[in-house]
Amino acid sequence: MRTQASWCVGMVTPGNPRFCLARQAFLPLPRTSSTHDSQKLQLFNRGSNKQSKMSQYTIKDNTNCFNTTNSINVQNNLTISHDRPELLAWLSPLDPGLRHCDIRERRAKDVGEWFIQTGEFRRWSGLSEEGEGDKRVLFCSGNPGVGKTFIR
Amino acid sequence: MLTRGGDSSLVVDILYDKTRGRNAALTCFYFDFAAQKEQSAINVLGSLLKQMINGTGNIPDEIRRTLRDQKETAGGRRPQLVDIVKMLRLITSSQGTYMCIDALD
Repeated sequence: MRTQASWCVGMVTPGNPRFCLARQAFLPLPRTSSTHDSQKLQLFNRGSNKQSKMSQYTIKDNTNCFNTTNSINVQNNLTISHDRPELLAWLSPLDPGLRHCDIRERRAKDVGEWFIQTGEFRRWSGLSEEGEGDKRVLFCSGNPGVGKTFIR
Repeated sequence: MLTRGGDSSLVVDILYDKTRGRNAALTCFYFDFAAQKEQSAINVLGSLLKQMINGTGNIPDEIRRTLRDQKETAGGRRPQLVDIVKMLRLITSSQGTYMCIDALD
């Protein structure tokens, strides 16, 4: 299927977030049962005596998924201060990590690698040494259903 | 203009590997047409901020102060968009940050 995509590429530096934006509809998916209040969150307490003890929750059947209550880049063993869960839950009820976990388990294996290898993506993400520019936005667009979110 | 598609979920995983163990953060958001009401600008940016905060060992003091002030002295009022943007700017100022947004429109 023919798709169209437009791109802006750039580098990441502190203070300049890199955005990867996908435009137009993604494949329709059944709603998962992942309302935030039923989510199981995986929280670890490193045991610092300055921190309160937290109950430990685990993500069932999603052990390979990153966890948005913890961060993506610091996955486990966070130090949790006493008001942290409360403040974060209050900040936003949304938890896109659950959606990511769902997609990740359903997407076709070994599909989409070509995208990661493109010069546009590599330069934008900093995976390529050459040509890290000053553009910060990588914009991808395509017709509905072509696999911008994932292909299954 | 190129003739290509992409794969948002794969990008998130690749960037996760790239940022792990480095002074870099990764956040993502998947818009859902069926959830437009709850996916307000405040909730979406709040979710990105939440993911950024989760990437830190502790909530940065200035952000904690802002959140506590609003939660307690403003009668539990949710943060305003302008506050969230300010906090996002602050927390992204100290590390490289990827933000992956799917289905922006």
